[in-house]
Amino acid sequence: MAKQAILGLFQDAESAANAGDALKSAGIADTEYDFLTDSPYPEGAFGEREEKHNLYLYPFIGALLGLTSGILITAMTQVAYPLETGGKPILSLPPMAIVCYEGTMLGAILFTVIGIVFESRLPKMKMGLYDNRITQGLIGLLVNAEQEKGPEVMQILNGAGAVDVKSEDD
Amino acid sequence: MQEGKVLPAAQINRDLLRSILETPRWFWPVVTLLGLIVLVAAITIGVMINTGLGITGLNYKVVWGFFITNFVFWIGISHAGVMLSAILRLAKAEWRRPATRAAEVLTIFSLMTAMIMPIIHTGRPWRILYWAFPYDFARGVWPNIRTPLVWDPSAILTYLTSSTMFVAIALVPDFAVLRDRTTGWPHRIYTLLAMGWEGNPRQWKLQIIAGVLLSALILPVFVSVHSIVSWDFGMAVAIKSWHSTVFAPYFVVGAVHSGVSAVVFAMILLRWAYGWQEYIRHEHIDALGRLLIVVATGWFYFLVMEIVFGIYGLEGDELAVRALQFLPTESGVPYNIWMIVFVGITYFLPVILWLPRAWRRNLWIMSTACISVNVGMWLERYLLFVPGQANKQFLTFTWNDYLPQPAEAIIVGATFAFVSMLMLLFSRVFPLVPLYDIKEGDILKTEIKVGRRTVPATFRED
Amino acid sequence: MASETQPHGGAAHDGSAHDGGAHEHGHFGPEMWVIPESAGLTSDIAEKQRSSSTLFTVVLYAGALLTVLGVIGFVLRLLDGFSDHRVWGFYVAAFAFVFTLTSSAPLAACAFRFTKSHWRRPLSRISELFALVSVVNILLFIPALIALPDILNPLGASNEALDIRRTIWFRVPGGSPEWWQFAGMVGLAVNSLGILWLAAMPDMAQSRSQMTGFRASLYRTLSGRWYGTKRQWQIQKAGLAILGAFYFMLLVFMQFLVVSDFAMSLIPGWKDSILPPFYTVISFQGGLAIILLMAYAMRRWGGYREIIGVAPFWAASKVLLGLTLLHTYHLFAFFITYWYGRLEVEQNILNYLMFDSYLGIFWAQLFFTFFIPFPILVSNHARRLGWGAPLAGIFIIIGLMLFHIRIFAAAFASSDSESLYYFFMLKPIPAATFPDLWDIFIILGAVGIVMLVFRLGMMLLPPISVWEMKEGAMYQRVDTLIRGRYLVLGKPE
Repeated sequence: MAKQAILGLFQDAESAANAGDALKSAGIADTEYDFLTDSPYPEGAFGEREEKHNLYLYPFIGALLGLTSGILITAMTQVAYPLETGGKPILSLPPMAIVCYEGTMLGAILFTVIGIVFESRLPKMKMGLYDNRITQGLIGLLVNAEQEKGPEVMQILNGAGAVDVKSEDD
Repeated sequence: MQEGKVLPAAQINRDLLRSILETPRWFWPVVTLLGLIVLVAAITIGVMINTGLGITGLNYKVVWGFFITNFVFWIGISHAGVMLSAILRLAKAEWRRPATRAAEVLTIFSLMTAMIMPIIHTGRPWRILYWAFPYDFARGVWPNIRTPLVWDPSAILTYLTSSTMFVAIALVPDFAVLRDRTTGWPHRIYTLLAMGWEGNPRQWKLQIIAGVLLSALILPVFVSVHSIVSWDFGMAVAIKSWHSTVFAPYFVVGAVHSGVSAVVFAMILLRWAYGWQEYIRHEHIDALGRLLIVVATGWFYFLVMEIVFGIYGLEGDELAVRALQFLPTESGVPYNIWMIVFVGITYFLPVILWLPRAWRRNLWIMSTACISVNVGMWLERYLLFVPGQANKQFLTFTWNDYLPQPAEAIIVGATFAFVSMLMLLFSRVFPLVPLYDIKEGDILKTEIKVGRRTVPATFRED
Repeated sequence: MASETQPHGGAAHDGSAHDGGAHEHGHFGPEMWVIPESAGLTSDIAEKQRSSSTLFTVVLYAGALLTVLGVIGFVLRLLDGFSDHRVWGFYVAAFAFVFTLTSSAPLAACAFRFTKSHWRRPLSRISELFALVSVVNILLFIPALIALPDILNPLGASNEALDIRRTIWFRVPGGSPEWWQFAGMVGLAVNSLGILWLAAMPDMAQSRSQMTGFRASLYRTLSGRWYGTKRQWQIQKAGLAILGAFYFMLLVFMQFLVVSDFAMSLIPGWKDSILPPFYTVISFQGGLAIILLMAYAMRRWGGYREIIGVAPFWAASKVLLGLTLLHTYHLFAFFITYWYGRLEVEQNILNYLMFDSYLGIFWAQLFFTFFIPFPILVSNHARRLGWGAPLAGIFIIIGLMLFHIRIFAAAFASSDSESLYYFFMLKPIPAATFPDLWDIFIILGAVGIVMLVFRLGMMLLPPISVWEMKEGAMYQRVDTLIRGRYLVLGKPE
């Protein structure tokens, strides 16, 4: 069934949360709407659904890859060009450990960054329904409900005190 | 301790984006002036590469002089970013909010500047590529990873990449604000950079976790970077006074000391230049001042350890270096007087200035103290590196003192202009105070009534 | 954004794991904890102080038993006399172990009070109670000082040959190092006891009427003039801050002296500027570990569950993680400098302390102080449930015991060796020494006496800082922000 995006804009967080409650009572699942804000509110402040993510996996994978690359680079270059200096063994573990450590951390950090972007569902090639006033402090309530529920959703948003309600058709 | 008002989002945007959406009259003249200084330095570098390092004061005995001192100095400054941003974020210090981005950006630019120093110091910069990177497939000559001079690029590049990513990720929500406030080609660029950010709870949740997780990951890198820089010296047995086990933590704490002082000074300048009185407030400078007393004292302890255990060995050639550092000499360079000046302006003067609360809230006094620390820390590195090399050593038949030449002074001086110019240019295109962080602070602000008194409080998620 | 004000203590609970879902919305994890209602806290703690759980009875008797063993070991060691310094190595290691851990413990209360961390409150008194062990430290220190080989004039060397043993005292003051060291140790004890007295005074004043017998008269003597006036509170807070700052400086200095004189000076050729800061870091690590261990025992088995929440463990575990990383970092900084330098003496010292004579102990120590606690402390799960940090703490404490054996016993073992005259070469590398039965008794006794003194301290003084808990209760509440319930923390000043 086709979905329709509707965006309600609210002056304050309390009215937005009220609208969220009203949507929930009207049988709209909490996966079908999102609160759009210009700054992070504490988790659960709008009574919204809890978001699951797998971000913590990324640094581990990155660290493992970084460590492997570090070991390979430090070992292979020394074996390929065995120049003994200062009486140290060709494959000296302490200096290898230092470079491997940097490799591990670099891998972990790069993968964390990739993880943050992907887990945030970014980059978004095409912006959906949005309003510039959100970054000026208005709270957006973006509903992706079935088309037939559109009028009801609009009514709920207006009823909760939205300063403006927009839909995809506008 | 919250002295600021809760401001509407629109006003926060207007205030903090002023540096981007409007150009102050002083902006381009100042940037041009700084650019000219950098240009002069660039020409000097060109001449130096063309004619050779002979135009510097470096000589057979003192091979590491102004450039390497300046390298370590800027690496030190770069430690402020992560120190402030990561540690304070992990400690959930509310007063960190306006300071984090400026500190992180200072990290990036000072690291970039620091990297230039050893590159031009080599005399033939193009060669550094195959000394440090395993790329020369044709000849089969690979870098020797058993030297700290190769650990160094690996650490610095890791740190530079990490801190750039750290800043970039935290900028995404602010790019969205800029996307919504601009038109034309800037709008198109900010739209691209914002990657379609809309500010839903999932995005914010990950943004918050990102701050904490990246802070935790970047902290061990931050410690490793200056440790490895210190090992450029600490690993050397030949130069007495360098081969000291305490160098790594001593350098790290020193870096934090100079770096945080530099951030405080930068914040005071930004507050004055862009009229951010509502955001960078006296309470923030005060808190940083208190932090600095602790950091400075920790640094002083390491300094004492370094000196005590330098003398502890009672080895003749090491004592000779210490004599050069502390006693009047016939060499003509009064290292002992510089030593007194250095300890005075790096520890005693600033700490005295930071002790009274009223002085910590006086921006002139704070600026003086912070500049004093940084002049002192520059001198510290110089006094740590040069006397050790200038001292006559066992089995050496020649020794020289070191007198820096104009070319070095021009290049070193221009690095300050370079970093300032980059910071200004950055503030022209990206917000230097994180908008959403300030707004979040306002959302979480509340108060608790205790009897007749109202105590500022914050909502906490954990 | 001011929210509506509610009376505090909206949800007084102990913050155990299953409380996580107590609220419909909001990120109200188990680490969120609210200090219990302040009414009745004084009498509650006094009641707990009088009674004793099975665990605490066991601790008391086990501590007493181990102490007796230690005394036996010590007396039998005395029979060997002090002429051979080497036999005292394990005694000194045991002393240094107790000193390191217990002298840093009182600093935790001062440090976290300085950073205004609310979560410190239930831990403050536990930390301060270790000040009582400082008296034991003085007693244990006396034989150690007698056993210390002559640093300034080793083996009766002539005046010209004074430099054969390196020392931080150079040739300076009379009475060094023994008398200066001893004065420092007494100063440290006075300072820490001062902190304990000042911090416990309001609590003693509150419960002086509820106590009977010895405790009542003790409390009346120690807190007789405390009425809790505004001025008294101001002076108490300022006093605690000043004493804390002095204690920090004196402690770091004493650690520098102890590790330099009792370890570094004794190993020929060992010149290691990172050792004093390293020793300070491990001392902070051990101090925090022992506090968390005691706090966990009190929470889990001692009836303090509703007073000591999970929050202190959750927050302190991050600090412990940081200290654990710093420990390993300092160790590596020492190692890499010596390894890279490759001077003969450096290789000999590395071989002696790490890779040859004490190889097994070194790796065991590394496992106990890093490889085991690190994954535990990194795990959010283990830290959130409260047991992560204390468990890591147990391993850390065992590891630090091994560290002290590896450093101090090794130092004494090499102190009188002929290698002294080989230009600081540590050549030949001495073999590892092993404890005899009396040494084992002494080590057990050192652990026992800490248990005993701490347990007696818990009976003598309120083991929870009641005034700090009550103060904390004023600045905490659970409140609603839009739809979620969150902890609200106030920061006065």
